[in-house]
Amino acid sequence: MSLSLALRLALRDWRAGELRLLLAALLLAVGAVTAVSLFVDRLQRALVAESAALLGADRVIDASRPVPQRFRDLAADRGLVLADVIRFPSMASSEATGRSQLASVKAVTPGYPLRGTLRVAGEPFTRGRRTDGLPAPGEVWLDSRLFPALDVKVGDTVSVGYADFTVTAVLASEPDRGGGFMGFAPRLLMRAEDIAATRVIQPGSRIRYRLLLAGGGDALRSLHDAIRDELAPGYRWRDVRAANARIDSALERAESFLLLGGLLTVLLAGVAVALSARRYARRHYDHVAVLKTLGATPAEVQWGYTLVLLIIGVAGALAGLVLGAVAHFGIIAALRGFLPMSLPPPGAQPVWVGLLTGFICVLAFGLPPLLRLRGVSPMRVIRRDLAPATASAWTYGCAAAGGLGLLVWYSGDATLTGWALAGAAVTVSVFAGLALILLRGGRALGMQAGSVWRLALAGLHRRHRENVGQIVVFGVAVMLLLIMVLVRTALVDEWQSRIPVRAPNQFVMNVAPAEVGPVETLLKARTGYDGRMFPMIRGRITEVNGIGAAQWQRQRRQRAEETDDERDGPGGRGRPGILRERNLTFLADLPDHNVVVDGDWWAAGAAPSASLEEEYAAALGLALGDSLTFDVGGLPFTAKVTNTRRVAWDSLQPNFFIILSPGALDGQPATYMTSFHLPSERKAFLNELLSRHPTVSVIDVDQIITHLRRIITHVAQAVELVLALVLCAGLLVLIASIQSSRDQRLKELALLRALGGTRRLITGALVAEFAALGAFAGVVAVIGAEITTFTLNRFVFELPASLHPQIWLAGPLFGILMVSAVGYLGTRRLVRTPPATALREL
Amino acid sequence: MSGCILRARAVVKRVPTSEGDLTILDGIDLAVDTGAQVAVVGESGSGKTTLLSILAGLDLPTGGDVWLDGEEITALDEEQRARVRARSVGFVFQSFQLIDSLTALENVMLPLELHGRRQAREDALGFMERVGLSARTTHYPLQLSGGEQQRVAIARAFASGPKVLFADEPTGNLDTATGGKIADLLFELNREAGTTLMLVTHDAALARRCAEVIALDAGRMLAPREAAP
Ligand SMILES: Nc1ncnc2c1ncn2[C@@H]1O[C@H](COP(=O)(O)OP(=O)(O)O)[C@@H](O)[C@H]1O
Ligand SMILES: [Mg+2]
Repeated sequence: MSLSLALRLALRDWRAGELRLLLAALLLAVGAVTAVSLFVDRLQRALVAESAALLGADRVIDASRPVPQRFRDLAADRGLVLADVIRFPSMASSEATGRSQLASVKAVTPGYPLRGTLRVAGEPFTRGRRTDGLPAPGEVWLDSRLFPALDVKVGDTVSVGYADFTVTAVLASEPDRGGGFMGFAPRLLMRAEDIAATRVIQPGSRIRYRLLLAGGGDALRSLHDAIRDELAPGYRWRDVRAANARIDSALERAESFLLLGGLLTVLLAGVAVALSARRYARRHYDHVAVLKTLGATPAEVQWGYTLVLLIIGVAGALAGLVLGAVAHFGIIAALRGFLPMSLPPPGAQPVWVGLLTGFICVLAFGLPPLLRLRGVSPMRVIRRDLAPATASAWTYGCAAAGGLGLLVWYSGDATLTGWALAGAAVTVSVFAGLALILLRGGRALGMQAGSVWRLALAGLHRRHRENVGQIVVFGVAVMLLLIMVLVRTALVDEWQSRIPVRAPNQFVMNVAPAEVGPVETLLKARTGYDGRMFPMIRGRITEVNGIGAAQWQRQRRQRAEETDDERDGPGGRGRPGILRERNLTFLADLPDHNVVVDGDWWAAGAAPSASLEEEYAAALGLALGDSLTFDVGGLPFTAKVTNTRRVAWDSLQPNFFIILSPGALDGQPATYMTSFHLPSERKAFLNELLSRHPTVSVIDVDQIITHLRRIITHVAQAVELVLALVLCAGLLVLIASIQSSRDQRLKELALLRALGGTRRLITGALVAEFAALGAFAGVVAVIGAEITTFTLNRFVFELPASLHPQIWLAGPLFGILMVSAVGYLGTRRLVRTPPATALREL
Repeated sequence: MSGCILRARAVVKRVPTSEGDLTILDGIDLAVDTGAQVAVVGESGSGKTTLLSILAGLDLPTGGDVWLDGEEITALDEEQRARVRARSVGFVFQSFQLIDSLTALENVMLPLELHGRRQAREDALGFMERVGLSARTTHYPLQLSGGEQQRVAIARAFASGPKVLFADEPTGNLDTATGGKIADLLFELNREAGTTLMLVTHDAALARRCAEVIALDAGRMLAPREAAP
């Protein structure tokens, strides 16, 4: 059969409406996958960009000594953009006012920040505006907190070491502010070339060097590969993910979810393709028999219909790409308000993903039923009941392999796919069993019911084999929808609960014991503060079970990262190093966001005890019963480890690796810390707080929180988009499935009508039948959804698992509504046509 | 073999049923000359349709062999038999067997298109005119009466220029008057084209219009050739 004939056959079939469903299924498969891939691709790029802002770069090499020229050369060779950041603590002072204050100096080279932007203001404690500039040589920008502390204003002179600088702006925010220990001190931003003049850098000074890198992923990877061996132990390679552990876990889950959603969309669309191809094939048995009597050979039939399918495949894939692109623009337009960053252009990957999906959908799901046409006997023109033999196991094997390949390739994760499929197989068989039981029960019920229901339920039972199939298909579709809704709700709720609207965004540190009362009173009066003051003492572990800490560490072969100061502090988690000085606290009761995982929390008046964060304990090889000797301000004391805790690091509360029982640190010079929420527009309160309590330090993490919240909003939206797509695919499966049973129903309906069934009776029976199908499917779906979400939440998303009574009724109701609506719309015409016409159409 | 286009020898057809094998055809021998008009008569269930489908290569006999247009079709595979059908055979069925999704004209074009004929449309239009349906070319089968559908089927059967036309009760689904007209059309076209006609019918009047008659009874041939009145 020639291509042109195949084209004509395809066109004629299209005209007759035979191909619409198939095309729609393909369109949706390709469109959905393309839209999701495009959107996710761009969103991911945008999220990476946004996260990169938290780092000020795409990658950072971090060290306590200058970054070697070799690294710079290699980076420059790869076309990467570089900037330097050098940070050190130093006193800043004003000669005019005679005040001085410890500042965290940040000296940068032009280009800083490579990602994200600085904000500057003319007045302290205001929001400021974005700037691309930097202080000129000889100038500095100061953190708002330095203005009251030094009692200066913009235009005044401050000195650092031996050099004097003009204050030209208030540094309102920096993208890579972070929450590290040095971040405790207010920032002073200057140019790297001014460092020499200050003469503050001496051997032994505490200085952090950072080389910021920006550029293409390939170039960055190549650089990392080139210097990987030289990095350890002195240099740390930091990427976007490391910049924020909170984003990390949210992103990971979002990716899993999007992946799962995309996977389900492909799977559902594949089922729709298979169903509509099957219907197309069935409706062409007679067609093919006639073609064969006219002399079409089996090979011609096979190639002809393969060509028809390919034509539809190409049309569907191309149209699907367009649809996907349009849909993704629509999504972006709809989300414009929420997408402050301009989305980077997408890569070519999503287009290939879409095309390949279409191709494999056609071959794996569409072709097998059509291949049966080859075997249609021409004798069918004489004996209608001659159906072709089912396609060989080989064909279905290929189809299954193709489908599997598609899923694995799409998800990039064979294990997840494997589990999903194993789950699907179990689900389908359990569903089939359940469906059979429901049908039996339904029929028994129907015997006692009115004529409409009797007819409907008898009809269901008569075709029980097809109906079991349909219930399974409907059930799976409804189940997937329920799963997506449940998992989405759980995810979004969980994300939002991570960062409650009034999450603390200010950390107050260094509160002297005498100031605790006044500060608390002030906070309560002005901010609705209801937090808790944590005593805090710097101290280090000197001995473990009587062995020197250094020796213990060596024994543990633990790679100590002594120089690592990053990410230790409020909300951050540092890399454990036993010799480091740590913030210790002593508490009578377990703080919120902490759970004891091993051992017991101490009772009042217990012997000196220590509670360790579980990962910290594990990394250092410390266990319950170990006795730790601490050095706090030169005084040793010993406490026994009595429990380990799991800490919600992303709770934005003051968190501690080590908590000691009260009394252990009595008489030691503790200071206190706490956190509270301050609306952005009331930042001026900080000025008041700091003027009244000049020795107190405030760390503003509002910016980080805003970042986080924005990212979470995006991710939640992407998740909702995927949900909508899965919904479309599920609906399509529903339609395809009802369509495929339409021909048989048609026959029965025509007969019923010919036998004198009123239109009302028949419509009633039809809707009742669909409603029953929908209800059964809903019941089956709810059971499946509960089991699956339990498993998913438990093992994939690591969320708490629970039952969802709200879907127990909603599931079957949804099934009834959807199936009877789609079913009624699909068969309405059958009821309306006069029986003679209907019979003739058979 | 110059004049013999169709030959069957010891054709037997048995089908398995739940009560053991059922013999539908039992030792059929026949030879049909090129251009002949042969009627196959017999009661319903006597095996006429089965015989016709075996002679036309739609089905295979359980035993015996069949030559059609110089090929031993019982020794060919489905692919090769299809080619013989394409080249040499036309069909008219009792139930018309038009494709619902194609217009009348497209149904007639189908065999021409399968042959890769370039002027399929023009040729098909000619045949539509010949059967008196040039006004109904764009109509779908369901919009046509039974008689009209059968005319389309006849146009389609002749469109491919077959050497042998197999007609299985072509008037069986039609009223007497329409049936008569359809039979007239069939014989007329057959004469014009010089096609060999193999006509299955249980209508004695129709059978009488053929030069030869083969009578079947429970799968056996009754007095071949001499059965003609
Ligand atoms: N594949 C088959 N399986 C079972 N019975 C068959 C089959 N083909 C034909 N028959 C039976 O063989 C008999 C002859 O059928 P057929 O050739 O259609 O007769 P006719 O066309 O003369 O009415 C009928 O009784 C029919 O039911
Ligand atoms: Mg018959």
